[in-house]
Amino acid sequence: MLTFSHLILGLFQALLLLAAAPLVSGLSRMVRAKLHTRHGPGLLQDYRDIAKLLTRQDLTPPNSGFAFRLMPAVMLTTVLVIAMGIPMLTRFTPVAPIGDLITVIYLFALARFFFSLSGIDSGSSFSGIGGSRELTMGVLVEPVMLLSLFVAALLAGSTNLGAIGSAIADGHVRSATATVIAALSFAYAIYIELGKLPYDMAEAEQELQEGPLTEYSGPSLALIKWAMALKQTVVVAWFVGVFLPFGSASGMSFFGLLFGLIAFAIKLVLIFAAVGVVENSVARVRFRLTPQHSWVGVGAASLAFVFYLVGL
Amino acid sequence: MIPLSLLIMSLLLSCGGAILCLLLKHREEDIRLGGSGVGIAAALAGLGAGLTAIGAGQPVVLDAAGPYPFAHFVLRLDPLAGLMIAVISLLSLVAWIYGFAYVREYAGRGVGAMGFFMNAFIASMMLVVAADNAFWFLIFFEMMSLASYFLVIFDQDDEAVGAGFLYFLVAHGGSVLIMAAFFLMANRAGSFDFAAFRAHPLPAPLDSVAFLLAFIGFGAKAGMIPLHIWLPRAHPAAPSHASALMSGVMIKIGVFGIVKVGIDLLGASAGPAMLGWGLLVLAFGAVSSVLGVVYALAEHDIKKLLAYHSVENIGIILLGVGTGMIGMALHQPVLAVLGLMAGLYHLLNHAVFKGLLFLGAGSTIFRMHTKDMEEMGGLARTMPWTALSFLVGALAISAIPPLNGFVSEWYTYQALFAAALDGTPLVKFAAPIAAVMLALTGALAVMCFVKAYGIMFAGAPRSHHAEEAREAPAAMVAGMAVLAVACVALGLLAPLMAPVMGRIAAATIGTAPVTLAVGTTLLPGDAQQATLSTPLIAILLIAMAFLPIALKTAFAAKRGGDRKVAAPWAAGYLPDHHMPASAGSFAQPIRMFFAPLYTMRRSIAGRWTGIALGFERVVTLARRTEPLADRSIVAPIAGAVDASGKWLQIIQAGDFRIYCLYIVAALIALLALAV
Repeated sequence: MLTFSHLILGLFQALLLLAAAPLVSGLSRMVRAKLHTRHGPGLLQDYRDIAKLLTRQDLTPPNSGFAFRLMPAVMLTTVLVIAMGIPMLTRFTPVAPIGDLITVIYLFALARFFFSLSGIDSGSSFSGIGGSRELTMGVLVEPVMLLSLFVAALLAGSTNLGAIGSAIADGHVRSATATVIAALSFAYAIYIELGKLPYDMAEAEQELQEGPLTEYSGPSLALIKWAMALKQTVVVAWFVGVFLPFGSASGMSFFGLLFGLIAFAIKLVLIFAAVGVVENSVARVRFRLTPQHSWVGVGAASLAFVFYLVGL
Repeated sequence: MIPLSLLIMSLLLSCGGAILCLLLKHREEDIRLGGSGVGIAAALAGLGAGLTAIGAGQPVVLDAAGPYPFAHFVLRLDPLAGLMIAVISLLSLVAWIYGFAYVREYAGRGVGAMGFFMNAFIASMMLVVAADNAFWFLIFFEMMSLASYFLVIFDQDDEAVGAGFLYFLVAHGGSVLIMAAFFLMANRAGSFDFAAFRAHPLPAPLDSVAFLLAFIGFGAKAGMIPLHIWLPRAHPAAPSHASALMSGVMIKIGVFGIVKVGIDLLGASAGPAMLGWGLLVLAFGAVSSVLGVVYALAEHDIKKLLAYHSVENIGIILLGVGTGMIGMALHQPVLAVLGLMAGLYHLLNHAVFKGLLFLGAGSTIFRMHTKDMEEMGGLARTMPWTALSFLVGALAISAIPPLNGFVSEWYTYQALFAAALDGTPLVKFAAPIAAVMLALTGALAVMCFVKAYGIMFAGAPRSHHAEEAREAPAAMVAGMAVLAVACVALGLLAPLMAPVMGRIAAATIGTAPVTLAVGTTLLPGDAQQATLSTPLIAILLIAMAFLPIALKTAFAAKRGGDRKVAAPWAAGYLPDHHMPASAGSFAQPIRMFFAPLYTMRRSIAGRWTGIALGFERVVTLARRTEPLADRSIVAPIAGAVDASGKWLQIIQAGDFRIYCLYIVAALIALLALAV
């Protein structure tokens, strides 16, 4: 049952992630710089960017409406709420009624809805194409996410993310092979969802001038940049919470939580370092060929499902 | 007896309204006022009937002996019928409010006739769901099809008449199959009463035959793929408030029929075959949901787009109903209630948001006089209330939490999950696939409604009309507002609504209710499986929104005022109106990636066109045979009569003396005969 302390924990972890998100995106920039054998702007550059943007003028295109103006706030808000429901420091979900796999997928759809809508609303052709691509990627990725999580949920007997994570951590799943394959296909879907190369489609900088971000400026752009960094962190935390819950606290004790926090931070840094290496060693996939890539995810998730059915 | 008396009151009011509309047909202003007033009263009485029937829990029966033994007039209000009547009444209430202003669009083109058919349509729908005798059920079913047929062809142009003909064909083909199913049951029961059908279940292979016949028949009415072909043509042709009723309610009568036959009449006694029925319904549901939304995405006509979404949502409802039937077949009452409840909840939700979206589309058409989205654009500035209502509907149909569409889809997922968890191997295989189809549908629906809202209401105006559009009249905004509030309420008050839906489902199946909510938390029978709290999500979304707002305002003093720039950036070129995303370009990736599905539609449509062509050939043949009979039988006789007349003319020269001579000659001849 949801108690007050759970709610506080959820709030704490959402705000913690919000505070740390620019650091994580800064880390990605540093990895990129190192791979280019550059010096790099420093880990804290994204904090400086956001702070500066917040004091700049907010410019809006002439025909934009309320969807354009609302989007940055809606996106940041939604991702913060999702962050409250995902198990990060603990095995269980802090706010259980949000930490359901279906709810999380559909809450991401809320952010996606406004993100893409702002693309049309801005009246810029780059933004419109970016919005269309963002939704197309959603169409290609969401089924993979759902199937791989569904298999894990069936193995655990619950669609609650914390319950799935606990079952995996305790080894209470009937089919280890199915779990591993489901984890791999989910990781693949998550990687596409991160929007990094080679799947940098919607906010493609060189191709689409950052897609739906094209027309944003000043504080709105600051909020979006922050929200996108937060979204990338939350998405990775989602994977960690479900498939790599090792080290997280099973109760609410202070030291347990502290230990969980350290474990979570280490996992996050490792994953983002690995993502950074992949991102900088590949070229962009042509957009019209993306279904061929997402079919790999569908195939892997289906394989996990078959292994679950057979019970291996 | 309160529900029944309210129902009869509502029906009498509808009849009165229908007659009133015909009597006043030359005084259109009076029809607007009087027709809407009576209609609203009828809808309120119906709403009362539905809600009290749901509250009563026990079926209430009115038994009026008719003159013939087979036409035994029985009305039965069980909770399921109560739900349907409440949904019909809610939507007709809104349609009448909306119609008060909307029928001006049709001034001088028979507003009286429209009012008559609307009343007949609503009353016959209520009678269909309440009838408890197969004979009367079919009579009212036909009445419903006919009344809606006349609403479809109201515009009288080629498109409307063609769509109407196709609708007529499919609707009647469907009712023939339903008739056959009822005859099978009546043959066994020896009576046309549904009560007798329940008492004398059909033996094993026959019950599957009856179910299949009814499933195809009602499926055609519901618009499930591949029997959907009439729907995207007929619904857009009707006036928008009638489209809202057709898409929101009438196609649900098809689902109601499937539930009635599959669960109420045959389900209780069905053997292992029922698992097959459930899987069949599930399969048709999954296919309809995905294909419906894929086809919707390619549409530029807003009403066609919405009509295809009806196909999709019927699919989602069938997923729930199918899971419920699987639960019954497996003797798992929790699963059965959960599945059916998810389907019924989505039925209600879809009626509300699809009604809202059709009315929103109607408002823009009312001002723009076109259904083409490419001609709209930027309407959020000129029609803010319509835009806001449409946005609520778009979010709800895209199943965005915490609105109502999400709640029922969540229950559908949970039912599928429960089925996959402890079903037979076949169910374990089918249920997760259905869940993936539902996820694909959800993602596509988001895309489709970003496109619909974005192209119609966001960005720059795409035509001169769009620049000069004004907000819709107050009555139309009020109608939309009622449904928009219902979308939010059915989502946020889900902890109150879900148990009611669960009770209706349990009463229909005939098992004990299942725990579906504790406090503000929703759960699918078992809190271990999952929990959801829409009020909590709403509160957290509102609470968290303070953070970005505070961040923005905290630095407001430090920066120069916000301003609008001259134009969006266009890579250094002068931006023009061809550059922004259009309805076609926005959905283009999906059209490219799902190309085989569109090819398939063309071939299915070709099949249907073939059938329609066949009918046309029959008509042509009849036209050719008719003159043939004329030429070989009628024409010779006529010719002979004509010729003999001409021949007789010789003796009629016109001279008075010759006529005297005739008389004398005749006299002599007679005398000679006498002698």
